[in-house]
Amino acid sequence: MKDKDTFTGCLSRRQLLEIDACTQCGECLKFCPVQEVTGNPLISPPEKIRLFREFIRATEGLGARLLGGREIDRKLLEDFSHAVFECTTCGACSRHCTVGISTQRLWPMLRKEMVRRGLGPLGPQAGMPGAIRETGNPYSKPSAERFAPWFPEGVVVSEKAEIAYYAGCTGAYEAQPMVRGDVSVLSAAGEPFTMLPPEEEVCCGFPLFITGQHDLLEDLTKRLVSAYQERGVKTLVCSCPCCVNIMSRDWPIFFGKDLPFRIRHITQYAAEALRSGRLRIAGELRERLIYHDPCYLSRGVGVIDEPREVLRAIPGAELIEFDRHGLASRCCGAGGAARKVFHDNAIATGRLAIDEAVAKSADRLILSCPACYAKVNEALQGHDKQVRITDIMELLAGLVERR
Amino acid sequence: MGVLLACAAYAVYAAFICRLFFHILLWVRASEQAFTRPAYAVRIRPNTVAVTALDLLFLRRLFSQNKLLWIGSWTFHLSFLLVFLGHMRYFLNPVPACITCLQPFGLVAGYLLPLSLILLLILRTSSGKNRYVSVYNYFLLGTALVISLSGLGLRVFIHPDLAEIKAYILALFTFRPEALPQSIVFVAHFSLVLFLLPFLPLHMVAAPLVTLDARRREDELRTVMHER
Repeated sequence: MKDKDTFTGCLSRRQLLEIDACTQCGECLKFCPVQEVTGNPLISPPEKIRLFREFIRATEGLGARLLGGREIDRKLLEDFSHAVFECTTCGACSRHCTVGISTQRLWPMLRKEMVRRGLGPLGPQAGMPGAIRETGNPYSKPSAERFAPWFPEGVVVSEKAEIAYYAGCTGAYEAQPMVRGDVSVLSAAGEPFTMLPPEEEVCCGFPLFITGQHDLLEDLTKRLVSAYQERGVKTLVCSCPCCVNIMSRDWPIFFGKDLPFRIRHITQYAAEALRSGRLRIAGELRERLIYHDPCYLSRGVGVIDEPREVLRAIPGAELIEFDRHGLASRCCGAGGAARKVFHDNAIATGRLAIDEAVAKSADRLILSCPACYAKVNEALQGHDKQVRITDIMELLAGLVERR
Repeated sequence: MGVLLACAAYAVYAAFICRLFFHILLWVRASEQAFTRPAYAVRIRPNTVAVTALDLLFLRRLFSQNKLLWIGSWTFHLSFLLVFLGHMRYFLNPVPACITCLQPFGLVAGYLLPLSLILLLILRTSSGKNRYVSVYNYFLLGTALVISLSGLGLRVFIHPDLAEIKAYILALFTFRPEALPQSIVFVAHFSLVLFLLPFLPLHMVAAPLVTLDARRREDELRTVMHER
């Protein structure tokens, strides 16, 4: 592909407007986690937008139309691509944008454009489509190990049920205490639930979407939706914020129509079960809990109150907040499929969350995202400040009455 | 010289209109890619439009982020609007009463405009974010500052022949270019405006639409995982 070919092919009308709408005020900079740990101006949201504007102008601006498009310097394109992939796509810049640009949806499309030009994805991200084709997950792990190592004994999974549970690849392979907790809580609620067999529960498509590799998305969506439809599912429950994000926002589009079931995050299910009395907490926990809002759960799909409702329902527990929480939460560093490529950034960002939790004298740092869980636990190793890290359902599973 | 500047003015206006036209064409022709469209269309409610209008009128999103930058930016936008409307008296004959009524405000705005630009420049260079500010950004602010200062100078110190200037402008806009007014400062002021015009940022058009969409998205966020 020539570097003077169009740069607007992957962008919607709304996103082209957003590229033009940036006033370069720089207010987003103080909330960008990658800026916080690298200080590299090229990775800053306004700089990425400014450069992309330049690319559009050089190839499709008035001068390009009258005199022909300019070839973009390859090194500049490579640096830009690197910057776009170094972003965690947390969307904090969007939350604080003085115009209101939806960057959490814009960055993945810029990545897609870079993939189209052969400038991305980076490192292990490139192997994900092949891994998903062969094993059903981006980690190239055998499907036989998807549930077996962590699935709690005695929990019954129905063949067909109105409620289905999707464990997700990161939870199943990299954050097993979390998915064990999910299944235990679902079981304790007493409602029958179903799951797909491990070889059928393939990737939701989010890692491919977020790295701009969209070829398999329609196929994955149709396989999963059809499989749940055949099981009579009315509510699909999942604990991974990235999965619920693509399920609720993009699956209907790849499926071609509205989904035949609704999507709920596990905390929504648990909060409702606690409200209705299906789930009862037997124990108490005299601890200060600090809850970290995952970016794709809070800013992504607006699930903010339910995790807090669950934690406040625990007798004796005191819930405290990060300075930035809810819609304004700070990324843990694990997002945007950047954690495996930009490991140091992710560790440094994760440690910022740990440091704040320790500074606020939290006994436990509560997470509700498998990517956060895996990376913040990694960040804890060898760090001078220590706090106990627990997934919200892992915590709840240890406190609820068993049926 | 008058004809030369007039030709430059026509060329600049034509370039500006073409640039805007081609850019709007780019927006219009952009495909609504499936995966970038919200899965469920949320209609824009009248309330959303009203809230957005307030957002734009008072730059509320900026206010919530940075009060000092808001003072500079809001003062700049308001005073620019008033100065622009005040300048309409040179383009319209007879001058509408509403434009005449605005003149006292336009006069105050003429002082505030360069002050707000100076504040914005100071904030850009002293906030530690200067590493992130592009040359284009400095160019815009710097040129706008020189234009506003030369305009203020014309109004306060130089007192050029306004009738002559109005005649020149009206002739320009009716494609009957006349000789340049005598004032060198006016010629410089007018030339700089022509120079800046092709570089005007497109956020003037795009930002209001994006701000409206941001409000729509906030409404939508409440529905994604709760109502459906």
